[in-house]
Amino acid sequence: MGEWIKTFKQGLSIENPLTVLMIGLCATLAVSTQVQGALFMGLAVIFVLTMSNAIISTFRKVIPTEVRIPIFIVIIASFVTIVDLTMKAFLPGVYQFLGIWIPLIVVNCIILGRAEAFAYHNKVGLAVADGLGMGVGYWFVILVLAFIRELFGTGRIAVFGSTLLTLPSGYAPPGLVLMFPGAFFIFGFMIAITRAVSERAAKRRKAVAS
Amino acid sequence: MNTIGQLALLFIGAALINNILLTRFIGLCPFFGVSGNFETSLGMSLAVVFVMTLASTATWVVWTFALEPLGVGEFLYIPAFILIIASLVQFVEMYMRKVSPVLYRAMGIYLPLITTNCAVLATATEAAKPGFFKMNIDLGASLGLGEALIYTLGVSIGFGFALLTFSALRERLEIAPVPRVMKGTPMAFITAGLLSLAYVGIAGWFGL
Repeated sequence: MGEWIKTFKQGLSIENPLTVLMIGLCATLAVSTQVQGALFMGLAVIFVLTMSNAIISTFRKVIPTEVRIPIFIVIIASFVTIVDLTMKAFLPGVYQFLGIWIPLIVVNCIILGRAEAFAYHNKVGLAVADGLGMGVGYWFVILVLAFIRELFGTGRIAVFGSTLLTLPSGYAPPGLVLMFPGAFFIFGFMIAITRAVSERAAKRRKAVAS
Repeated sequence: MNTIGQLALLFIGAALINNILLTRFIGLCPFFGVSGNFETSLGMSLAVVFVMTLASTATWVVWTFALEPLGVGEFLYIPAFILIIASLVQFVEMYMRKVSPVLYRAMGIYLPLITTNCAVLATATEAAKPGFFKMNIDLGASLGLGEALIYTLGVSIGFGFALLTFSALRERLEIAPVPRVMKGTPMAFITAGLLSLAYVGIAGWFGL
């Protein structure tokens, strides 16, 4: 159990796919203009990542090394198709917003990367923990980014038509925040802040120890 | 407008106005991954142009002659296209290693990476069944093979151009004085933001 929790936590902090490993950025930057969209994107990634990790890890002794990549991709593509069709049927509004990013989860580097680096060499339980940890880590970062961009880009946060939070009416939202360059700027500063905070924490830990 | 003009518009639209990296956020992993070095970026760009052209041709043929007439395209296109791309890349890699070691050394090591490059899948899908992207130029209901090829060339050359510009900038930034926490990736993101701003400007210039 301890090992399980450790693997899960790794995805959240020291091996966070977005801010530390820098993989799977495309979808994150593209869909983070809306908290609602980001919410479902994160859920889709968690589902595909956990399920594909579990399946790949179950069959890890049967899959030959030479053709493992095509096999991984087919497994991932099946789960992505499930998400794609389910979302199209039950959440048409969200599906419209996410658009190409749902089919493109197939080639999201996080999922194939974890399959290759983790699920192929570890037991099923650990692979699921890794999938959940990485997925939740991804979800957390994409939600923070979407929260900043929607709040400062439109002046309010709305989920399913109900407004949760509004900035004072005197605030004129700059269009840049919602545009493509804005995503790069905000994400760049987010990484810098994360780095500064973790450096300071490490320094303090060292000072306490010595 | 005559046909040549339309094809030129399609090319420019795909390469600059809808630049896949900086205005659509597709293919960012190699964009940040290999752009630290100019020569690596050159190899990557060449490999992308090459693979994308092949992949689009293959998916176009499969979509037009197999998936579409059989009526299974809507739910089978993701696994079908990604399998085509993955196996195609594998074949190209083996063939290149046998036939042209020089070419293999120049771009061989980037080939496996390209399988999971979302830019290739996205472009191949768009070329086969237009309407996949939300583009601000209208591609029409379906493309002919020639148009699909011009479109793919436009996208991949636009990709290479953006990647090379960015890596040249990053090489310069290595020696520039930036605050310590901003060094490396954060600064790369800010630079990408500025470049992206320039591309948004191009779109505005064409009145789109």
